[in-house]
Amino acid sequence: MVGVSRDSIAQLVLGQFLVDILLLHAQRYQVHQEKTSADEEPLDPFSLVSDELSVIANRLRSMVVAEVPKLAQAAEYFFKIGVEGKRFRPTVLLLMAKALYMPIPQPTVDGVFSSLKKELDLRQQRIAEITEMIHVASLLHDDVLDDAETRRGIGSLNMVMGNKLSVLAGDFLLSRACVALAKLKNTEVVSLLATVVEHLVNGETMQMTTSFEQRRSMEYYLQKTFYKTASLIANSCKAIALLAGQTAEVALLAYNYGRNLGMAYQLIDDVLDFTGTSSSLGKGSLSDIKQNIVTAPILFAMEEYPQLREVVDRGFGNRSDVDLALDYLFKSKGLERTRELAAEHADEAVKAIEALPHSDDEDVIKSRRALVDLTREVMTRTK
Amino acid sequence: MYGRTTLRILSSRATFHYRSVERFYCAARPGPHYCRGPAMTCPKETSYAVLGCRETYFWHSHGFHDFRYQAYEDRTSVIEEPLDPFSLVSDELSAIAKRLRLMVVAEVPKLALATECFFRMGAQGKSFRAAVLLLMSKALPMPLPQMTADGVFICLKELDARHKCIAETAEMIYVAGRLHDNVLDDAETNCVMGSLNSVMGNKLSVLAGDFLLSRAFVALANLKNTEVISLLAIVVEHLVSGETMQMTTSLEQRRSMEYYLQKTFYKTASLFANSCKAIAFLAGQTAEVELLAYNYGRNLGMAYQLIDDVLDFTGSSSSLGKGSLSDINKNIVTAPILFAMEEYPQLREVVDRGFGNRSDVELALDYLHKSRGLDRTRELAAEYADEAVKAIEALPQSDDEDVIKSRRALVNLTGRVITGTK
Repeated sequence: MVGVSRDSIAQLVLGQFLVDILLLHAQRYQVHQEKTSADEEPLDPFSLVSDELSVIANRLRSMVVAEVPKLAQAAEYFFKIGVEGKRFRPTVLLLMAKALYMPIPQPTVDGVFSSLKKELDLRQQRIAEITEMIHVASLLHDDVLDDAETRRGIGSLNMVMGNKLSVLAGDFLLSRACVALAKLKNTEVVSLLATVVEHLVNGETMQMTTSFEQRRSMEYYLQKTFYKTASLIANSCKAIALLAGQTAEVALLAYNYGRNLGMAYQLIDDVLDFTGTSSSLGKGSLSDIKQNIVTAPILFAMEEYPQLREVVDRGFGNRSDVDLALDYLFKSKGLERTRELAAEHADEAVKAIEALPHSDDEDVIKSRRALVDLTREVMTRTK
Repeated sequence: MYGRTTLRILSSRATFHYRSVERFYCAARPGPHYCRGPAMTCPKETSYAVLGCRETYFWHSHGFHDFRYQAYEDRTSVIEEPLDPFSLVSDELSAIAKRLRLMVVAEVPKLALATECFFRMGAQGKSFRAAVLLLMSKALPMPLPQMTADGVFICLKELDARHKCIAETAEMIYVAGRLHDNVLDDAETNCVMGSLNSVMGNKLSVLAGDFLLSRAFVALANLKNTEVISLLAIVVEHLVSGETMQMTTSLEQRRSMEYYLQKTFYKTASLFANSCKAIAFLAGQTAEVELLAYNYGRNLGMAYQLIDDVLDFTGSSSSLGKGSLSDINKNIVTAPILFAMEEYPQLREVVDRGFGNRSDVELALDYLHKSRGLDRTRELAAEYADEAVKAIEALPQSDDEDVIKSRRALVNLTGRVITGTK
């Protein structure tokens, strides 16, 4: 069934690798949709979990209240209504929780059974909250390290309240996240999130302390991207699976989904930094190149145009170097190849969902569709 | 025994400490301490005969740290060798410092210079926290082999390793806190090797602090004990709260002793208190023992900071590793000034003005040295130190030689803190 479709499309478009890959992903996505939806209503992944998202948002606001007023002001800054961001990570985690829900196939008293499910939901919600706190903490520190001026469409905290308070607020959020984590009383989950924190710092360190060789290395960039973006989603998905009492194999699938989704997300983010607009990204475009950060599109372009290497080595310090680099970039296939790579990762993410143990539960099926939809949204988003 | 003690106190190494403490308690403030009846059954005739009226204060005063300290020494030491508390744990201390240094250098070479500063052995007071925790771990009564929440038997050797981990983690958290406190800080010589910020820049400070915090968190996670994680996470929260309190005071708060003591607890004592409690918790001690460990840490920490604040006025660069008067120059109001303000209300205006210019600083110092601010701060520190010793004394009896030695060392540490010889 799949083979026939792919052949026919390949006949239509003459052997362009790019289209093939993109279409493969689209195919896999479509096949998944056909397999799982009776009526093909377009599904908004965010809407499936919107109730839980508001609950989480409220809880987060109460969890970051500090005694010291200035600290409270700083800590709450990115949890206020309207500035919570896309809430991408909590959405993924809540959907994953629903997608992995496996009712125990044995007769139990209804009351006990439903309270068990509720308990599990709560702990998984906690993971979403904790993850968001860790994420915001890292944003606060990153903005200090990057001298960022805006974030999520408003002034960055370091601009508004100063570097030191931002650093302290980040530490505060991290400590609150740790306390919440400890309350879950699951040491494996604690280890996973501890690893995430370590990776976030690794990623930032890698970004700040690169040698010339490392700046030109795709491998280094991908490792850094995993640390900075994908690890959080990967390990928290795995935590969700563990809390759901799933096997190691299923936990690995959850991890793989998160990891590949995260990588795709960041790769597209890097593309949009060159092609998106200020208003859509919430931060100025070309911000990477202006901060002298080398991303996948440039790295791919450097493979085609070795002259670009010197420009990269010089460090994009002045306007003309930036323009020169952009010139090479748009001449090259850098942006396309980055999109291809992102599509490959998105494809892997879908495969992971497909490999999950079968379930007939309506909610489970819907959530899995939503997770697949998310991969598509990540690929096609313009903001 | 008490007679012998008295004679020793009077005739012993008549250091500044003993003499000055005597002096303090002559003009002792009335307070709950001194209202309590004498808790010890000392022969009063002897005391009067030997000491005369004035010194009866310290027989009756429940809270006379120095006496308690000496009495403890007597009860517990067979051979009266002078005890260096650090020597009991010096091997472990250097192992910790080395391990931490190597960890940083191996993973992020650029941060090596940054952390070198803080992990050098012998740099004043830098390994103090680790020493306290290691001693505490040895001072607790031997636990019975037991199951943890994970159903694992903890053998003593493993417990030892876990305690070392706590000591390391606490040290990492402390250094991370210092690094983050230094962001935008203008301290000229904040550590012996020169200010971190002037050498490395704000960003690497942030990064180095994050690095240490994350490694601390990972190490804690490996202990597989969620209560301990909670305790140390709370320490981080307190460190941050304390620093923020220091940064953002209103005029009223700056004049408040209560605010200052709360801030001091958050910034200094909480680390000692909660990590001591973590040590006790890991060793499977009862809630009472945990509380005693917590109290020791808390009171030691408070005393430590109070004396630190005194030394900031009286110490020298070489002894502190930082320029004296740094608090007042950074416009931070500490206990000596607060006490002085009680005696000289005129000082309040100077404080409110903010020590912005040289003459205000001079004026404030003038009032301070005229007042009893420094003395009263030392008294308060001695009270806290006394409470710390009490906590050690209240620990369950043990006949183990090592336990006894470690407890002596912990008591000895309170003495060192009071004299400022950390």
